[in-house]
Amino acid sequence: MRRAQAAAGCLSAALLGLAGCGGGGEDTVEAHLRLVVPDNNIRVEGVECAGARPFDYIRPGASFSLEAPDGSVLADGELPAGRAENADPDVDWGVERIPTVCVMELELEDVPDRPRYRLRLPEGRPLEFERAHLSADEPLQLIVR
Amino acid sequence: MALLLAVLLAAAGCAGGDSGEESHGGASDLPGPLPEDVAFRDAPADAPAAPGFSAELVDGTPVTASDLWDDRPVVLVFTASWCNRCAGVHRQAAEVVAEHEGVALLGVVPGDDAEGAREYAEDLDLGHPIAVGDEDVWLSYAVREPPAVVLVAPPGKVLRGWPGGVDRQILVRSLDELFERR
Repeated sequence: MRRAQAAAGCLSAALLGLAGCGGGGEDTVEAHLRLVVPDNNIRVEGVECAGARPFDYIRPGASFSLEAPDGSVLADGELPAGRAENADPDVDWGVERIPTVCVMELELEDVPDRPRYRLRLPEGRPLEFERAHLSADEPLQLIVR
Repeated sequence: MALLLAVLLAAAGCAGGDSGEESHGGASDLPGPLPEDVAFRDAPADAPAAPGFSAELVDGTPVTASDLWDDRPVVLVFTASWCNRCAGVHRQAAEVVAEHEGVALLGVVPGDDAEGAREYAEDLDLGHPIAVGDEDVWLSYAVREPPAVVLVAPPGKVLRGWPGGVDRQILVRSLDELFERR
C-alpha cells in the first residue's frame, strides 16, 4: 500500500511537473521572509538601512534569487531598503543611537511549491529553509551569515 | 579640403569630444581659489590626521583630497546612489556649505557605484564634486554604511564624524567655529 502511494505520488509529481512546464496548474506558495542582517551597526532605531560592512553587498537594488534544491531559480528580484531594529530587544539602551540590525522584508507570491528552498544573495552562503516553516501568519526569519 | 576638415571637426564635436557639456559632480564643480577675505583657523594640533586619498570624480577627473583641505575646511559626505536617505543628507550639507564661503564639499561614493553615481550627481545637481572612492577610502574613515559626514579642518585634521548624517545646526556651528575671518 505504501509503495502504491509512493508510486501515485511520483505520478502526481510528474503530472504536476508537466503542468508546470505548460505554464499553469502548478501549486504555488507565498513566501514572506524577514531577512536579518546582523551587522550591529549604530543607528537610530527605525531608520532606513542597508547592510553595513561586512554585509555591504546587502543593499537596496541588489539582486536575490530563490532557488529549489536542484539550483533552478523559482523567483528573483531586487532587495528593498531595510529598517533598523534594536540588535538586542531585551536591552533599553537609553540613548537614541543604538546597536541595530538591518531587517529587510521580502514578500514573494506564486512561488512554485517545493519542500525546501535556498535564498541566494549576491555574496555569501545561500540561506536554506523548508516549505513547512513558511506561514501565512508571520514571516519566516532568515539570519544572514 | 578645408571644407572636409571643417565637417570632420564638427562631427567630432557632435560625438562628444570637447563639447563643453556640463558635468555634474565633475571637474567644473571643483572649488576655485580661496577668496582673499576669508581665512580659517587651523585645527587643534591633537586632532587626528585626515587619511589622505586620491580618487577620480564621476567625470574621470583625478582629485587629491589633501589639495582640497590644505587651506580650507572640507565636508566629506559618504553617499551612494542606491541609498534612499543619502540624497537628503548630501543636499542639506551642500546648503550649509553654501552659507560658508570658502568651505569645500566632496561627495564620496563606493567604488562599485560609479555608474549610478553619475545619474545621482545629475539628479542632485549640487554644484560640488563627487568622487568614486575605493574600499580603502571608506575603511580609512571607518564608514560602514552610507550616509556619513566627516568634517576635515585645514591643513588636514579630522574634527568630527557623523555616521548616519548630521543635524543641520550642528554642522553650521562646527563650520562657524572654523572661521578666523569672513
